[in-house]
Formats: sequence, C-alpha cells, structure tokens
Amino acid sequence: MGSHETEPWLLENGNPKVLTREMRHGRTAHSRSSMSLRKKSDRTLVQKIRCALLRDLLSNVQEVILGTKLSILIPAVPLAIAAEIYGLARPWVFILSLLGLTPLAERVSFITEQVAFYTGPTVGGLLNATCGNVTELIIAIFALSSNKIAVVKYSLLGSILSNLLLVLGTSLLCGGIANRGVEKKYDRRQADVNSLMLLLGLLCYLLPMLFNYSAASPALTADPSLYLSRASSIVMLIAYFAYIVFQLWTHRELFEAEDEDEDGNKDSEEQAVIGLWSGIAWLVGMTVFIALLSEYVVDTIEDASDSWGLSVSFLSIILLPIVGNAAEHAGAIIFAFKNKLDITLGVALGSATQIAMFVVPLCVTVAWIMGVKMDLNFNLLETGSVALAIIVTGFTLQDGTYHYMKGLVLLLCYVVIGACFFVQRTPLNQADVTNFTLKPATNAVLGA
Amino acid sequence: MAHHTMEEDLNIAPPPQAQNLTSSMVTKKWPFLVTKGRFQLLRNFRANLQKVIFGTKLAVLFPAVPLAVVADFYSLGRPWIFALSLLGLTPLAERVSFLTEQIAYYTGPTVGGLLNATCGNATEMIISLLALYQNKVNVVKFSLLGSILSNLLLVLGSSLLCGGLANLRKEQLYDRKQADVNSLLLLLGLLCHLLPLMFRYALAGEYASIATSTLQLSRASSIVMLIAYAAYIFFQLKTHRQIFDAQEEDESEDGEKAVIGFWSAFTWLVGMTLIISLLSEYIVATIEAASDSWGISISFISIILLPIVGNAAEHAGSIIFAFKNKLDISLGVAMGSATQISMFVVPLSVVVAWTMGIEMDLDFKLLETGCLALTIIVTAFTLQDGTSHYMKGLVLFLCYIIISACFFVQKTPLIGEYICIYLIISVSSGIFCETFIIFHYKNG
Repeated sequence: MGSHETEPWLLENGNPKVLTREMRHGRTAHSRSSMSLRKKSDRTLVQKIRCALLRDLLSNVQEVILGTKLSILIPAVPLAIAAEIYGLARPWVFILSLLGLTPLAERVSFITEQVAFYTGPTVGGLLNATCGNVTELIIAIFALSSNKIAVVKYSLLGSILSNLLLVLGTSLLCGGIANRGVEKKYDRRQADVNSLMLLLGLLCYLLPMLFNYSAASPALTADPSLYLSRASSIVMLIAYFAYIVFQLWTHRELFEAEDEDEDGNKDSEEQAVIGLWSGIAWLVGMTVFIALLSEYVVDTIEDASDSWGLSVSFLSIILLPIVGNAAEHAGAIIFAFKNKLDITLGVALGSATQIAMFVVPLCVTVAWIMGVKMDLNFNLLETGSVALAIIVTGFTLQDGTYHYMKGLVLLLCYVVIGACFFVQRTPLNQADVTNFTLKPATNAVLGA
Repeated sequence: MAHHTMEEDLNIAPPPQAQNLTSSMVTKKWPFLVTKGRFQLLRNFRANLQKVIFGTKLAVLFPAVPLAVVADFYSLGRPWIFALSLLGLTPLAERVSFLTEQIAYYTGPTVGGLLNATCGNATEMIISLLALYQNKVNVVKFSLLGSILSNLLLVLGSSLLCGGLANLRKEQLYDRKQADVNSLLLLLGLLCHLLPLMFRYALAGEYASIATSTLQLSRASSIVMLIAYAAYIFFQLKTHRQIFDAQEEDESEDGEKAVIGFWSAFTWLVGMTLIISLLSEYIVATIEAASDSWGISISFISIILLPIVGNAAEHAGSIIFAFKNKLDISLGVAMGSATQISMFVVPLSVVVAWTMGIEMDLDFKLLETGCLALTIIVTAFTLQDGTSHYMKGLVLFLCYIIISACFFVQKTPLIGEYICIYLIISVSSGIFCETFIIFHYKNG
C-alpha cells in the first residue's frame, strides 16, 4: 500500500490505520474468535522428558490436542471409532461422532492459523478463506458420495441459518446485555458487503425453485434447472473469488478488526507454537479423522432419525450445524461480551458468506464432476427461511449500532425456524422436490 | 455556426435531471458538411442534419435503419429484419432523448422536466404500445420487466463496477436520498405486481371469475401507480428538486444555448418517432420468427436483448459518469429510468390496453416477479449507505448474469450443458472488456 498521507480514507479518527499484527499474519476475525477458547499450556510437564524428538512430539501433542477447552470432548473420537467397530447401536455412533467433530473443527482452524504464520498474510488469508469451514465441506462431500443430496443441502442451509441467526443472535444478545450503557458500534461496511453477497446467493437459490414452479410440469424443468444451477454455481464461485480479492487486497481496511488494548497478552501469542511441517502433518491427520467421523455421521443419520423420532431435516438443519460451528459460536459470544462486535460480525457473517458462496457452489461443482445431479433448488420452506434470515440480518445490521433487542429477535427467529423443522416430519424422499407443485400445497393450506 | 461539443451542454440543463445529461455524453462533433451550402435553407438543413444525425458516436449504426426497411421491402429473412431493426433502434433511442433535451431549452425547466419524465423511455413505450396493438401482451410485459431489470442490475452494476475500479483509491460518495425515493417507488410498483400474482395463487379454484377480478385489481393498481408517478414528478420538479439536482460545478459555462431551433427540433422529434414506430413494428412482428430460427426463447429476447438495445445510450453515459466519480448522475439515470418504466410506462400500457379492449393485467409470472422482487431488494440494499465500491457493482452485475442465464435455459433445453461455457466466456469477456476500458481511459 502507498503512503498514508495520500490516502485520507485510510485515516480513522485522525490516526493512520496501519496494518495490525493480525493482518500481517493473515488472521481474520474468523480465525481469531476461536483463539479465545484456547488456554495457555504450561510446558513444565514436558520439559522433564529426555529424548529431544520425543519431547518435541509430546509438546506438539500437548499444544495441538490439549490446547483448547473443548479437548474434554476429544475422547469421543476413539469412542466413536470403537463403537463403529464393535457394532454398537447406530444412534450412539452418530452422537459420539458429532461430539468428536466439535473439538476437531476448532483444532483445524487453529492449525490453519499456525500454518498461516509461515506462509505470510495473503496465502494465510486464502487458506483461511478456503479451509474455514472444512468440516462442513467434508461432511457435504461424504454425503454427496453416498448420494444423500438432501443431507448436503440441509446441512449447508442449516449452517447458514445457524451462523446468521443463532451465532449472531446470541452474540448480539449477550453483548447487548453485558454492555448496557456502553456505546456499541461496529463498522457496517463489512456487514454490508456480506449481506450483499448473501443476497446474491439467495437469488441463485431462489431462481431454480421459482423455475420449477413456473413450468406446467416439473419434469420438463429438471434438466434446465440443473444447468441453471451449475451456471449459477460458477457465477457464485467467481463472486467469491472477487470477494476474496476485495477482502485481502483492495479493501482490506474494511475487514481489519482492531483490538489495540490486548497488546499485553498478544506478544506471547506472537510466535507460532508448532512448526510448519508438523502443522501440515497435523492438518492432514485431523482431516482424516474428520473425514472418518463425517462418514459415520452421514451413514448413521437416518438410523438416528428413526430411533429418536426426529426428522432427518431437523437433524441436518439444526443439530449438525450447531456442532460444526460450536467453536466459532463460543468465540463470537466472547468477543461480543468484550464489545468487539467487528470480530463477532466477521465470524458470523464471514462464515455464512463462505458457506453460501463457496461451499454450496463447490458441492454443486463436485457433484457435477461425480455425475451426481445436485441442483440449487432447496425447497420452498427452506428457501423461504433462508430468504427471511438474510433479509432480517441485513436489516438488523443497517445502522452500525446494536442493542440486545436485535440479538433477541434474531435468536427468536432461529427458534421459530427450528420449531418449524422440528414439527416437519416428512420422509426424506418426499421432501425431494420434483413431484410437488404449488397448487396442492396452497390447497392443503387453505383446507387446513 | 459555433461548434459545441455536447459535453458542454452538461450544465445548461434547464431541467437539471441526470437522465438527459448522460445521453449527451455520447454525442460528438462531426467536423465536415456545413458552411458550403449556397442557400440559407439548405445550409440550415445541413447544419441541422449534422447536429441531429451525426451528433452521436452511435451514428455508425444509422445505416441499419434504411437497411432494415430495405430488408423488409425485399422480404429478406425475418431474423435479419429483427437484428437490423434492433441495431437501428439504438442510435434513434439516444437521439430522441437529445431532441427532448433540445426542446426543453425553449420550454423552460418545468415543461422540460415533464417532457423528459414522459419521453425519457420513448422507445420502450412505443415498442410496448405497438406490441399491445398486435395483442402480444407477453412481449409487452417481458420487455418492460427486462428494462427495469437491465436498468437496475446491468446499467447500475456495470457503472458501479467501472467506477469502483477506476476510482479504487478514492472515496465514492453519492446522495442516498434520491436513491431512497426511487427504491420506495420501485417497492410500491413491486407490491402492485405481487398482489395479482398472489391473488391468482391464493384464490385458485375458488372463484370462476378469477381472471376478471385480477384484471380489475390490475387496472385499479395502474391508476394508483400513475397517481404515484404524478406525485413523484411534482416532488422531483417542484417541492424537493434540490435532491435531484445533479451537481457538476467544475464544468465550464459556454454551450448555454440550444444547438437547433424549436420547430426543427420538434419536426425531427416527430420524424424520429415515426421511424422508431416503424422499426418497433418490425421488431414486434418478427420477434417470434427470430426466436424460432435462433433457438432462443422469446422471453430471453424480450427480457434481455430488447432492453440492452433500448438502454444502450443511457448505459454508456452512465458508465462514463461513473468513471468520473459522479455517481449521483449515474444513479439518477439508472434508478430514474427504472422508476419511470415501472411506475409510468407499465401502468400506462395497462390503461391503454384497457381503452383498446385488451385484457392486460399486472400479473407477471412467478419467475419474473421473483426476479423483479430480488432485484429491487438487492439494489435498495446496495444503495443504503451512500458510498460505493466495485464489489457492489460486481454483485449487481452477476445478479444480472444469473437472471439472464435463467431466462436463457427456460425454453432452450437443446443448448443444455454448453450454457456454462457460454456463461464463463461471457463473464470473463465482460470483465476483460471492462479492464480494457479502464486502462484505455486511464491512458487518456
């Protein structure tokens, strides 16, 4: 970037807004929120061991495995594998896998961040922009390969809903209550860009659905709708690419969340705690475990749904995303408590944008390559929920301030949507679009 | 005869509206042809001709007008007539707004503003009236809808995109009050389109006379929309004109007078209108043949192709102003034109159809109304905060690409899989063109 004298728009409150330490390491708000969950590990325990290699390994293990408060859930990983091998009841496998995924999701973002220390800000930012929701992506790809398109769609949709309404809602609620009487501000420009991207995504989801309804017979539109979805996916990927350029190069000052008052403990976290290659090795290992657990989750979701009497749509729209987003969720709330709304918004909206504009079209493209016919047609109810969630969130973030009422409304929206999918006890195959037109639906509504 | 470049006309503007400012940006000077004629009358005529016909860079497309007439006369292939007429309409649409502006010099700001508010989209209006006359209600609806979409997404999107890229390190500000008024009117228009649609779905099968009541609702809504448009004009020209005053202080002050006389301008206007109606008639008559022979659906042609042609001049002007970081004018063009079509041309068509005994309602189909709704919401969101950057423009532009892809696949399953390739090519070429324009512009 050029000199700051010639760039008055970089000045904020009269001070030049220099790149903070976070940006130099490619850390966005997204990655930093999960940091708050981490605890300081003391190395005294490790120092006693003699062999250097072993000591390194153990300190690595300590940093990576035990570095988070969520690590009490790590035992669920071997338990899930054991349960699968010894053929325990499938719902148990499902729930253990879900529990095991929670810390793994957090750890992946930790390791991504560690790797970013070595690669510099741009590659780090790119890494973060692609791997930020790696759990959702892996689950989606496994569900695709076992041809459970509805699970893919529902879980991604649910992830968008949960980020926009649940994470953002609880953060605003907690932040609003904790900081009563304090002026609460954030930079609305970042929120605007994200809302805009989400609206573009909404258009892409809405068109194939309207397309199906507008034709005389749904069978006629199956193919064009698929082509439209694939074309839209490519456009969405282009838009996401432009968004990354916007975020990392041309307008990075919008996305730079500032926290100056944490300098004290920042310094200790300045250096990477693990090496580049061990970071990559851990990343690969974690990904393998996530893949394994995701496969269990995808395989057992229907059995779990049957034995618990909950619909698959509820499990994948509400339950899966809560697990996948648990770490980000906690981080977002903690930053909201500290009245650092910019970081909270960066997490919640950034994650939602990433899923809507990157993971979803990527899944469509991957399905295309695999020969699976996945389109962007979520059903009426789901698309309606997303549309309202995006519009409500966009409206909420219009004025650059917040109060707990905004958070409460968002949270209640989530509760209502959750209730809606809870009572919707449809078998999976009927929820698949094709033989379902608007007229019977409206007649059913009128008849009721 | 003094040579005025039309750019100097920028701040003559008795009705200082953005819409007629832009078309003057594409006008240019043709340095030959005057001065030698012996007779005063002949010389005047030539001067006039030079000003009116050759005053624009789009004049290279004028030969398409006689060619279209010839093609029709010798009954060439109907798709050819269609393509030639479309090309010929492009400069005519720009010239009409130029002449309107010229007449406005003589009539004063208020009448000029009124003239502009009614004739600003004369081409679209003539095409729709002729299509109505031939009872092609769908073409009317599609082309007007497409015009709104193209103004809001294509014109505005590419303007913001180019403006954002060209002024990457500058603050891009505009007055959001004007955009707010326009968004509000567009939302009112959206309601008027949504209600008949929901009416049809909600009451399906309950009443036999559903069509009649939809029609009555549409006619009532149209009258309300016309009233709203009249109030908007009053608001814009009388009570709150400072909101709509596009500010350009730095331009010089010569070029203060009109370049052609009132009556000659009037005559030209009448003549142009006649030619436009001729070409429009060709277009309306040949649209189905063109659709058949090209394998492209009528909805794609009327929603995407027709409006691009009708708005070409405004589009170019709007982008040029965005390059100069004068977003107020760009917004005035795009939003003003969309509002005018949505709140004036559409209800006028319904009322005219009523008097002609044609049953035209406001019920666009589900897909089309959905596109319109999302377009209006996205645009309103984009223009909320009074600043702009290229990402906003890009998102709007991509929305347009997706919507056009949607109408492209609608009835053309034959082309199928290749649409993606087509889209990638079109998007990337669009982006390349724009970067090229920027570099070209930056190097002078």
